[in-house]
Amino acid sequence: MSDPVNPSVDSPEYPPELARLPPGRHGLPREFVARNQRERLIAGLAGAVAENGYAGTTIAHITRHAAVSRRTFYEHFNSKDECFVAAYDTVMTELRQRVDEAFNEEEEWPQAVRAGLAAMLEFLTAEPHLARLSMVEALVAGPVVVERYDGAIQGLVPYFEAGRKGRSAEVLAGLSPSTEEALVGGMVSLISRRIFAERAEELESLLPDLVEFALTPYLGSAEAAKVARAG
Amino acid sequence: MASKATPRPLPGQHQLSREFIAQHQRARIVSALALEVSEKGYRGVTVADIVKRAGIARNTFYENFGSKEDCFLAAQQFAMSTALSRVVEAAGEIDDWPHQVEAGLAAFLRYVAEEPALARTCMVDALAAAPASVRYYEESMQAFVSLFRLGRDVSPHGQELPDTLEEALIGGVFWILYQRLMVDEPEAIGELLPEVLEFALTPYLGAVAARAIASEADGVSPRHDRA
Repeated sequence: MSDPVNPSVDSPEYPPELARLPPGRHGLPREFVARNQRERLIAGLAGAVAENGYAGTTIAHITRHAAVSRRTFYEHFNSKDECFVAAYDTVMTELRQRVDEAFNEEEEWPQAVRAGLAAMLEFLTAEPHLARLSMVEALVAGPVVVERYDGAIQGLVPYFEAGRKGRSAEVLAGLSPSTEEALVGGMVSLISRRIFAERAEELESLLPDLVEFALTPYLGSAEAAKVARAG
Repeated sequence: MASKATPRPLPGQHQLSREFIAQHQRARIVSALALEVSEKGYRGVTVADIVKRAGIARNTFYENFGSKEDCFLAAQQFAMSTALSRVVEAAGEIDDWPHQVEAGLAAFLRYVAEEPALARTCMVDALAAAPASVRYYEESMQAFVSLFRLGRDVSPHGQELPDTLEEALIGGVFWILYQRLMVDEPEAIGELLPEVLEFALTPYLGAVAARAIASEADGVSPRHDRA
């Protein structure tokens, strides 16, 4: 994350961008306060949307959740949509970073896929508001956000494309240009349908299925199942 | 249906039965909704938009549907049941499962190419619509799931396949089609058959056998032979 104020990446339960500044006088530099207000508004939006749905959320809801004034809202964003886009981008950056770290920690690609997927499910389970915002409300929030949503999902493709490296000619012949896109789409559909149905508690138990699904085209069913059930 | 409430009567409308006109109006409203939703997203569309696009009176809309939600659900039910019955019909003529999948997917892609806006509505936007639409989405998903599940009987490792495999495969196929519908001409959708077929068959039959069947669907000889 590019935030120099809250650089910590490994520990926090809650994304640093969304952490709240305690109310009251703090004598902090103006720029920090402004940045923090923006983050509070983003967290406020996530809370308000979780409570009211995107369509039912008003700017008043957001400012109440963020504990800032309406005027402050308009200093940062022109509209609810703009605030939503900022929130969406923040959540997705955070999610991507966690997936990236987990993925890069593993030496072998199949284990890296497993670790990346586990990190994703862990984040979505730990942050039900953000999970809803990024997987459900994003689809509803209009074409601008839908475009970003599509982009974010397509952004997962390279993690799987990496699995082509070093495969036999026979395996490669069996992979079509859209294999990765279809895999990612299938996994996202499994995940988001559970969030829609408010069954987010099932997400982590999806891990073995997702791993096996993702690895099968590259490793074959038996080997994919082995990696999926390990750990 | 009061003809004076309709600002743009169709030529020869007076000769048609009331029932025909009502049906036609519903179909027209449903396709107007699908086009509007594919442009603006479900939440962005109002009844006024639908009415304008369909070229009908607001009253006519409300004679047919109680609300936008209602109209959306009707669109979804219409499209999904048409798609499903075409898939079942195409697959029913064939004995072996892999070729059933081929025929079913081909029929599905043809339907998507015919009705791109409605198809998109069902495959993606439905999840963002009213709870009744989400429920219907899940129900139709289950219908497709049971068609794919038959593959477990012919798969050498059918017993060990993950529970959610079929849902993931269908989600993947929907996603590919949705992505292509945004960039390609609907007519190009049929060209995706070998790819989606191979994707769907691989977990059951293994990549090599899946590739062989998918290549035939393409009219191309199986490429794995040279490996």
